[in-house]
Amino acid sequence: MSNAQQFDTRLVGEHAGEIAVESPLAYSMHRSGAPKAKADTTVTLRERAFLGHLTLRGGAIVLDEALRDVLGMSLPGEPLGLVQDEAGERSIQWMSPDEWLLIVPGGEEFDVERRLREALGDAHFAISNVSGGQTLLELEGEAAREVLMKSVAYDVHPRHFPVGKGVTTVFAKASVILRRPSEERWELVVRRSFADYTYRWLLDAGEEFGVGVER
Amino acid sequence: MFYIFCPYCGEHREEEEFHPKGQAHISRPEDPEATSDEEWGDYLFFRDNPRGVHHELWVHAVGCRKFFNITRHTVSYEILEVYKMGEQPSITAENYAAQQGAASADKERNASQAKHQEGVRA
Amino acid sequence: MQRYSGFGLVKHALSHHENWERQWRNPTPKKSYDVIIVGGGGHGLATAYYLAKEFGVTNVAVIEKGWLGGGNTARNTTIVRSNYLWDESAALYEHAMKLWEGLSQDINYNVMFSQRGVLNVGHTLQDMRDIQRRVNANRLNGIDGEVLDAKGVQALVPIMDCSKNARYPVMGASWQPRAGVARHDAVAWGYARAADALGVDLLQNTEVTGFKIRDGQIYGVHTNRGDIEAKTVGCVTAGNSGVMAKMAGIKLPLESHPLQALVSEPIKPILDTVVMSNHVHGYISQSDKGDLVIGAGIDGYNGYGQRGSYPTVEHTLQAIVEMFPIFSRVRMNRQWGGIVDTCPDACPILSKTKVKGLYFNCGWGTGGFKATPGSGHVFAASLAKGEMHPIAAPFSIDRFNTGALIDEHGAAGVAH
Ligand SMILES: [Zn+2]
Repeated sequence: MSNAQQFDTRLVGEHAGEIAVESPLAYSMHRSGAPKAKADTTVTLRERAFLGHLTLRGGAIVLDEALRDVLGMSLPGEPLGLVQDEAGERSIQWMSPDEWLLIVPGGEEFDVERRLREALGDAHFAISNVSGGQTLLELEGEAAREVLMKSVAYDVHPRHFPVGKGVTTVFAKASVILRRPSEERWELVVRRSFADYTYRWLLDAGEEFGVGVER
Repeated sequence: MFYIFCPYCGEHREEEEFHPKGQAHISRPEDPEATSDEEWGDYLFFRDNPRGVHHELWVHAVGCRKFFNITRHTVSYEILEVYKMGEQPSITAENYAAQQGAASADKERNASQAKHQEGVRA
Repeated sequence: MQRYSGFGLVKHALSHHENWERQWRNPTPKKSYDVIIVGGGGHGLATAYYLAKEFGVTNVAVIEKGWLGGGNTARNTTIVRSNYLWDESAALYEHAMKLWEGLSQDINYNVMFSQRGVLNVGHTLQDMRDIQRRVNANRLNGIDGEVLDAKGVQALVPIMDCSKNARYPVMGASWQPRAGVARHDAVAWGYARAADALGVDLLQNTEVTGFKIRDGQIYGVHTNRGDIEAKTVGCVTAGNSGVMAKMAGIKLPLESHPLQALVSEPIKPILDTVVMSNHVHGYISQSDKGDLVIGAGIDGYNGYGQRGSYPTVEHTLQAIVEMFPIFSRVRMNRQWGGIVDTCPDACPILSKTKVKGLYFNCGWGTGGFKATPGSGHVFAASLAKGEMHPIAAPFSIDRFNTGALIDEHGAAGVAH
C-alpha cells in the first residue's frame, strides 16, 4: 500500500485551533454585505463553506470500484453526470474523461482520501484535496435560473440542463462548475480567487429578484 | 461565432470555452540530436496555411480541458469534423473537393427534378 | 500628372470640379515588364513608386486581383510609430517614419499624416519594466520616446481612468511624440497616382493564378488576363502570401488570422492622441471625422474570411470601456476584419526565395501599415539591385532555420 499515507493536514494537539479558518467569502460578506431575504425574494444565495473537495483522476473502472467499496457510491455513468448519495451529502461529478470531483461533508475528506488510496493500491491514479482552493455556492428559488441566464452563455433550460447534470463553463468571464442537484437548487463551485468576484456578480444579478443571502 | 462540439463532453459549446492551438498532427522530431537545422526550423515554425480545409488542434479550456482536433474550412469557417486526439481525419482537402463536386451534382439533379415536377404540376 | 495645390483647387472650383483628371490610367497588360509586383496594396504600390522614382525602373506592373488598397490597407487602424525593441526592426520602422514625415510633399498627395503621438500603456510592474527597456533601446537608436508615469498619462489623456480603482490600473506608458496616424486610403491612392505618373502600369481585377518558373528562375506569371513576363517578381500579398508561396513551391512560416477593427458613430473631438494597451488589449484613436477607431486582437485560429468573431469584439470593447468609462454609451457603427499574415517572431519577411528572381515581402502581421513607405523603399532597392537592402537583409526567410529570430512580440502591439 505504497500510496496509503496519512494526508491529514489539520493541526492537532497543542497547535489545534492556532490558525483561524475563513471561508473564501468571509471578507466579501463583510465588505459587500449579505442582504436579508424579503417578502418578494425569489432567489436565495448561500455558501456551503468548508466542504471536502477531492479531485479524483484515473481510470473509470478502478475508481468506480474503489468508490463503491469506500462510499457505496458509483461514478456517474455518462459525461456531464452528477450523482449523489441518498442524503444528498456526498456527490460525484464527471469533470473530464479521466477526472471526477468528489464532494463530502467537511472534515470527512481526509478519511475518505486515505481509504480510497488504500482501496486503489498500486493502480494508476491521483487524488488531490482541493478543499481550500474552492467553495460551493447555492442558488435556490424560482428566479435562480434567471440569475444564471444573466451570467452564463450555457443553456440552463430544464430541457437542456436536467437534474443530475453538471458542467464546467464560463461565468461572467470567469470559470465555474455549474451543477443541478435538484429541481429548485443550483450549485456553483467557484475558485477561491474568483469567489469575491462571483459573489458580487451574483448580488448584482440577483438584485432585481430581491436576492437574499442566507448565512 | 463558433458552436463547437466537444467530443469528450459530448455536446456543443460556445466558442468562448475553447482555445485554438494551431495546426494539428505536428509531431516532435524523434531524435533531436540527429535533426538538421532545416528540419528543426520546419518543425518549430513552418505551418500549413491553406485557404480551404485545415486540421487544427483545439482545447476545451473552460470545460473538460481536453485537447482534440477540428477539421475546418478557413474561408467559410464551417466545422467539417471533430475528432479525438490520436485519431485521423476522415475529411481532408483532397476528398472534400470530390465531395463538394458530388454534392453540387446532386443539387443540380434535384433542382432539375424539382423543375420537372413543377412543370407537371403546372 | 496633374499637380494638386491650393491654386488648383480654386481653379477647378470655377468649373464646378468637373474637370479633374483621373488619378491613374487603367492600362491593358503588356506582354512583358522588367518587374512585376503582385499585390496592389500600400506596400506593393509603394514598392512600384520607389522602383520608378529612386531606382529608374519604370517598366513595372502592379497586379491586383481586386482594387487598389482594398485589402489590409483599407482595414487597419492607421497607427504609425517606430518604437520597436531590436535594432533591426527599429531601423526598418524608423526608416519608414522618416519617409512618412515628408510623404505628402513627395507624392503631392495629402496623406493626412498627423503626428499626434502614441501612448503604449502599462498596467503592471512588468509592463513598466518592458516599457523602460524599450524606450531605452529606442533612444539608443535615435528614436524619440519617453517613459511617463500615471500622472503624465492623465495629463495627456484627461478622459482616461487612471485611478487606482481600475481593474488594471494605469501605471504609466511609453510615449512616442513623433508617432501618430495617417489616412490609410490616401496612402494607397497617393502612391498609385505617383507611380502611374512615372509609367507604372496598375492592373486591377487581374488575378495571378500561377508562376512561370524554369530551371529555378522565374520568368513571369499566369493571370486571368493572360501570361505576363518578367524576370523579377515581388510578391506583396499580405494574408494571401501563403497561398501565393504554395503556387511557387515555397514554404513560408506564416499563418493567416482574422484581425478586427471597428469604428463608432462620430462624436466631437475628445481624444487627440493614440492610446494602445497590450495588457487589457485594445487600442483607440479618434479620426478627423470624429469616429473612434478601435482595434481588436486577432482571432487565434487561421482564417481567410475577412471577418472576426464576436467574443473578440466584446473583449475589446470591455477593454476600451475599462480604460475610458466615458465611452460606455458610444454606439459602434461598423466592424470589419482583415487577413493578417503573422510570423512566429512578429517581424516581417523581406526576402529572396529559392526561386531566382522571386522575392517575398510579407509577414507584417498586425503592424504593416506603419511600415508602408519604408517597406516599399527597401524592397524596391532590393528588387532593383538583385541584392537585399541592408535594412531588409536581417528579415530573410532563412532566419527560421538559422535561429536568428527578431522577437518583437512585445512591441507588436497586438498579441499574436
Ligand atoms: Zn469538453
